[in-house]
Amino acid sequence: MIDNLCDQAGRQNATVACFYFDFAARKEESPAGMLGCLLKQLVFGLEEMPEEISRAYRDRKNAIGGRGLQVSEILKLLQTTSSKRHAFICIDALDECALEHRANLLRLLNQILKWSPGTRVFVTGRPHILPEIRRQLLGRVTDVSISPRRDDVIRYLHSRLATDTTPDAMDSSLEADILKRIPGDISEMYVEARTPPGLPQPIH
Amino acid sequence: MSRLFSNNIGSLNTTNIMNLTIADDKPDILAWLSPLDPKLRHQDIRDRRVENIGEWLLKTEEFRSWYSGSAGGESDNPVLFCFGDPGVGKTYIR
Repeated sequence: MIDNLCDQAGRQNATVACFYFDFAARKEESPAGMLGCLLKQLVFGLEEMPEEISRAYRDRKNAIGGRGLQVSEILKLLQTTSSKRHAFICIDALDECALEHRANLLRLLNQILKWSPGTRVFVTGRPHILPEIRRQLLGRVTDVSISPRRDDVIRYLHSRLATDTTPDAMDSSLEADILKRIPGDISEMYVEARTPPGLPQPIH
Repeated sequence: MSRLFSNNIGSLNTTNIMNLTIADDKPDILAWLSPLDPKLRHQDIRDRRVENIGEWLLKTEEFRSWYSGSAGGESDNPVLFCFGDPGVGKTYIR
């Protein structure tokens, strides 16, 4: 998704920033850490460093080895930077963000959106955080359920079969069997997981 | 670049010195803004992704109106949330 947005953004002079949450690194993933990382990426593509950022750096670089910014300061700089140019912000695995940070982070995202309405935010996560996202972002959220499509599973299997490390053990009937059975099994698995009993739904 | 000019910096006027400082500061400022580098993780995902997986999402009405909203379209929902259980491929969609 990020590559796709980058390709499209390049054509319309927009910019893309991303952040990947990771359960294993959740202690370091504070709102200040995430906002700082996004700001860095948005600034990277600018030809000129915004004066507000240069000034903030000059003011701090001589103290405590370059004293960091506070969340409110980063937010202000993010709002200024993202209002200069269309920005896409992508956040992966928001559910892996520490619970104590998540509400704050969504609130901060909401403030960025308030200041720069052209900014688009793409978020992925597990289903249980949807109500929280809706609440914090005041309902301005479109949601899409992601499940493995049959075509995607077949594409993935083809790519794995093409790089099979033991090709001698493969023959055309085994390959045909794999391409028939696995997509079917996966589709059934996700239909069962998503559909309440008695309400069969065809997978897309 | 600053080293290059350090011997004759007295010959530059104030504006030039300011521009030179700002241009030279960029890597330092970026490192100061954040020590994190998401492009490493991004590259890792990119290497493992199979081309065109999840392309269907780009064709949905939800994605299109979210995306076109950034170019002044009708959508007023600036956030697109793609949800699914672990392992369904959320991170790897095209």
